[in-house]
Amino acid sequence: MTPDLSVALGGLRLANPVMTASGTFGYAREFAQLIDLNRLGAIIVKGLSLQPSKGNPGPRIVETACGMLNAIGLENVGLDAFVSDKLPFLKTLQTPVLANIYGTNIEAYTALAERLNDIEAVAGIEVNISCPNVKLGGVAFGADARTACQVTRSVRTKFKRTLIVKLSPNVTDITQIARSVEEGGADAVSLINTITGMAIDIHTRRPKLANITGGLSGPAIKPVAVRMVWQVARAIQLPVIGVGGIMTAEDALEFIIAGASAVQVGTANFVNPRCTMEIIDGIANYLREQKIASVKDLVGSLTHDGFAGVDRCKIAGN
Amino acid sequence: MIQQTATILWNQQVGPACYRMGLACPQGYAKARPGQFVMVQSGPTPTPLLRRPFSIFGKIGASDHPEGIELLYKAVGRGTQQMARMTPGQTVDLLGPLGRGFHVPVNAEKIYLAAGGLGVAPIRFLASVLMHDRGGIDCTLFLGGRSQEDLLCPDDFRAMGISVTLTTDDGTAGQQCLLTDPLADAVQAQPPDLLCACGPHGMLQCIAGIAERFSVPCQLSLETTMACGMGACLGCAVPKAEGEEGYHHVCVDGPVFEAGRIRF
Ligand SMILES: Cc1cc2nc3c(=O)[nH]c(=O)nc-3n(C[C@H](O)[C@H](O)[C@H](O)COP(=O)(O)OP(=O)(O)OC[C@H]3O[C@@H](n4cnc5c(N)ncnc54)[C@H](O)[C@@H]3O)c2cc1C
Ligand SMILES: Cc1cc2nc3c(=O)[nH]c(=O)nc-3n(C[C@H](O)[C@H](O)[C@H](O)COP(=O)(O)O)c2cc1C
Ligand code: FES
Repeated sequence: MTPDLSVALGGLRLANPVMTASGTFGYAREFAQLIDLNRLGAIIVKGLSLQPSKGNPGPRIVETACGMLNAIGLENVGLDAFVSDKLPFLKTLQTPVLANIYGTNIEAYTALAERLNDIEAVAGIEVNISCPNVKLGGVAFGADARTACQVTRSVRTKFKRTLIVKLSPNVTDITQIARSVEEGGADAVSLINTITGMAIDIHTRRPKLANITGGLSGPAIKPVAVRMVWQVARAIQLPVIGVGGIMTAEDALEFIIAGASAVQVGTANFVNPRCTMEIIDGIANYLREQKIASVKDLVGSLTHDGFAGVDRCKIAGN
Repeated sequence: MIQQTATILWNQQVGPACYRMGLACPQGYAKARPGQFVMVQSGPTPTPLLRRPFSIFGKIGASDHPEGIELLYKAVGRGTQQMARMTPGQTVDLLGPLGRGFHVPVNAEKIYLAAGGLGVAPIRFLASVLMHDRGGIDCTLFLGGRSQEDLLCPDDFRAMGISVTLTTDDGTAGQQCLLTDPLADAVQAQPPDLLCACGPHGMLQCIAGIAERFSVPCQLSLETTMACGMGACLGCAVPKAEGEEGYHHVCVDGPVFEAGRIRF
């Protein structure tokens, strides 16, 4: 039996649930010599803004226990160079390519969405709402349910294909943001973006990142991400894409069982550039062993059976 | 660029916490150039999580060994200490060759090489290629370190027929001064066609200044922290020279740069 790995996110059909996370896979070409890009479920390219952005001064990254902090500062080539320099290669692939977009005000997000809507090679967009909203004094769009909804709604009016909104974990109640994004008209949500963190060099008493704080990623954040995916999957009707610390097929399966319809692999691409291929194979093997016909049957299949004395309704979150 | 399993041929201590590691890696290194580097994963993740970057110290010929490369490294933290504990026959996961190396113009006849501490690694590979491929080229090495024991492999250079000037901070070998002192004198007295250097940031900054002052072409091999080594994370940024906007990415635009293209 060959298990069915295909999944759907809004109108977008993926051959398998394994996507690459924005900012960890460049513009895909970087990995062309190392893996078969056409085997990926989808590719999400580096966060894109209307204008090129030069990013933060270094040091931009530092390794921490089972993870890393980054403060790249959303460096990117800007929309025009993306279209002229990066897209031609991406168009040669069979794998759906999604653009990850960000802005510092709603107008910027909307203008990007409008431009990308005209570019058929971009199968969908993922809206990064972890960025500071300049008009709101730097509070992230994703930290406020109302602005999260407004950004989503505004982008939705201009972008007709698959619209994913990527949620920040740096909030009190992620389900509240997820609901407002659903209300705004998203086709799916992805979570989590990095968790804000900090590391200090005790010898110099300086922060290890020039930006002082950065985003934590890698295996260290996986339990937080799994918990949030589980919460969000039960709070909304939209498909959920699980992201955070996935290194192996087992990690990806945890997310799927928690309720994720698909997953994104980020930091692991740096550690083992082949990991996405191994994760796809590992998921297929698991389904075969477990005699599960389709990965869709595994989504949200968490059970609570067998814990003596635990009330079943607890798993429903009541 | 290839990801492969490489078998350790030797892992010998050659100085205080410094080791030479021979790696059999049959694929991909025939065309590796001096200044290029590899990303090494020496054990099961996630501790440490990321690969560690190392310059190629030399190539191992097929004549008396399996083909491969040699690294020269210092055990300074978790990743390199783990490497130091490994023994021949064990394997590492190797990604490479990566980055842009030195580019020595064909008409360059007189070359000064400057290496501080572990910076000697890419410089030795460069020296061996130049001495092998460019008959009659005139290379001089300036090698500096804290103490005599930190001056790694000067004899390798002497054996290639390269004249070597040593400096130490404590005077236990060569002149007691910074490497940049005799280098500046030599550049002034007899300017080379090219100056190539690798070492601590402060040393490279000083050498860039010397090169500018005497209008000598200069190439520097830089180090930054790296996550991917292949242009995917954008973590390895260094500022472009005055007047240019933005950052270079050391892993793909470098690690070797024309000195004039970097802002220190
Ligand atoms: C292109 C490139 C080529 C390199 N070539 C060599 C080489 O040929 N031989 C060699 O010994 N080392 C080389 N390095 C440095 C080497 O990568 C680091 O020493 C190594 O990553 C340290 O890992 P660790 O886990 O042992 O130390 P960590 O636990 O990561 O750090 C321990 C200490 O080492 C210092 N350190 C960490 N990374 C670096 C770095 N990149 N440069 C300087 N200090 C650092 C930290 O400040 C810290 O105090 C190179 C680095 C780059 C970017
Ligand atoms: C170096 C780096 C750059 C990133 N850049 C972006 C980005 O541009 N846009 C975005 O939405 N997320 C970005 N992320 C977040 C990742 O896409 C992902 O959400 C996060 O790293 C958690 O997944 P992981 O633990 O598998 O890496 C970046 C992460 C890293 C490590
Ligand atoms: S180390 Fe990742 S881009 Fe240079």
